Amino acid sequence: MMKKQALYFSAATMLLIGMALYSMTTGSIKVGVVELMTGLFQGGNDNVDVIRDMRFPRIIVSMLTGAALAVSGVLLQAVMRNPLADAGIIGVSSGAGFVSVLLVTLFPAMFFWMPLFSCIGGLLACFMVYTFSWKSGLQPLRLILVGVAINAVFTGLGQSFNYRGSYAVTTVNQAISSMFTMKTWDDVEIMLIYGSIGLVLALLVSTWCNMLSLQDRTASNLGLRVMRARFIISAIAVLLASVATAVGGLIAFVGLLVPHIARLMVGSDHKALIPFCAIGGAFLILAADTLGRTIIAPAEIPASIIMTVIGGPFLIFMLVRSDRIYGA
Amino acid sequence: MELNAIAFSYKNGPQIIGDMTAEIEPGKMTTIIGPNGSGKSTLLGLMARNLLPASGSIIIDGRDIAAFKPKELARRLAVVHQHNDAPVDLTVERLVEYGRLPYRSMFAQDSAADQEAIAWALECTKLTAFRDRKLIELSGGQRQRAWIAMALAQRTSILLLDEPTTYLDIFHQIELLDLIRTLNKEHGITIVMVLHDVNQAVRYSDHLKVMKDGKLFAQGTPEEIMDGRLMEEVYGVQAAIRSDDETGLYIIPLSTI
Repeated sequence: MMKKQALYFSAATMLLIGMALYSMTTGSIKVGVVELMTGLFQGGNDNVDVIRDMRFPRIIVSMLTGAALAVSGVLLQAVMRNPLADAGIIGVSSGAGFVSVLLVTLFPAMFFWMPLFSCIGGLLACFMVYTFSWKSGLQPLRLILVGVAINAVFTGLGQSFNYRGSYAVTTVNQAISSMFTMKTWDDVEIMLIYGSIGLVLALLVSTWCNMLSLQDRTASNLGLRVMRARFIISAIAVLLASVATAVGGLIAFVGLLVPHIARLMVGSDHKALIPFCAIGGAFLILAADTLGRTIIAPAEIPASIIMTVIGGPFLIFMLVRSDRIYGA
Repeated sequence: MELNAIAFSYKNGPQIIGDMTAEIEPGKMTTIIGPNGSGKSTLLGLMARNLLPASGSIIIDGRDIAAFKPKELARRLAVVHQHNDAPVDLTVERLVEYGRLPYRSMFAQDSAADQEAIAWALECTKLTAFRDRKLIELSGGQRQRAWIAMALAQRTSILLLDEPTTYLDIFHQIELLDLIRTLNKEHGITIVMVLHDVNQAVRYSDHLKVMKDGKLFAQGTPEEIMDGRLMEEVYGVQAAIRSDDETGLYIIPLSTI
């Protein structure tokens, strides 16, 4: 088991590094890996300078967004005891997107508080999902249905901002349409700070996640404050999803796809699952974004659209076999 | 362990347990019996602090269990539920390790005491050879023993079991009850369990608590309290109560009244 885990971890890390290198060297400007490295360390290469300013932030932001969304998915699945929970599906991301767009529109001067606004929106959506599905004991399908409804409301509200008048506010627009183009080192900074805080916190609560996979009463008999643990883990999941939404935009299904595949590879122990999801999520979004900007270059397909196309069928596949993931 | 005038009802529901006072003798095997809906599992849930009494208190080591921190309580009292959930790929050893969580803080690594407790719990439940197996690969009896092993790893003086023999065939029922008796006799663990089968309750218990309609109907040693009148009044069943040297007291239900 340990050997298998180590193998999957090194394979995933290598894939991620390989994809990052490929992504750095491919696009409208093409350079070789050697040229890139010498350019980076010795300077004096205009192409490499452009890549560093334009492409690097984009690559880093996509990786961190993917990691944050995948880990947020795995945390939500642990607290809701539901393998179908995902920030993008149950409305956390769209809640984050809508509230941040709303507040930034009302108070344009507070643009730099956008991650915080996102968090408020994410928490609001998460709280609503809990409230409306709590009575049924967080039954898997009901929770997803409630989440889909809340997601629809927030997505609709968010989109209505795009249609007020003929002009769209581009800076705000990108929060809900998800493009990794035009990312700067400022975005990297926000994502790096909040994202790493969230990821470290997620690792710290891995034991709680494991305990929640038993029944609530069993976890409580083992000395866990179940409600408090649920609340804290949800808050971390919302933080991760909100920051990812604020910087990377709305991307669904990452938090569904990556944890599911990760469970098949490294098992359900969250001590391995959470870091593996971070690597897997980073790889998936980077791959989607790289594909999106090279496949019909110079035009681009946003990573979120690529994820929707892959993710929809995957969700159906999981609904069909959802009862087999958590068994007695 | 003392129960002082505890009462319990679910929100807006009828009273399930009403004003009950009782004592659990340390070092003994106490079994709670009674018909369906008499409140026996609810009573166990209250003792486990999975449910909170509407009034009254439950005392362990001179303190109300409501006042214990969750981990403190988990070092004194362990619970094995009737039905348990775990991820499909969880191994026996990992499950038993969970029993050490009441002794760990967020950053502490496992200690020699943890390893010792895990090894002991596996040994007691005869699961040492199965430690790397996944729970789903085990038989029903082995799986139930694995959950008991987790509770044992908590190293508590009190062990609560809710109908531990349900879902098991006769061989595994007896095997499990013998295991529980060994834990009581050899390791001095106070056992409180809920059983459905009156004969098993009589055979394995030092002390019986008989519940009816949320009240304590009778309590005492099986020999003291088990008679035809009790079977009629509590279960509504006419029964022959016999005793011989080989089997001790036994009950044969004859007909409903």
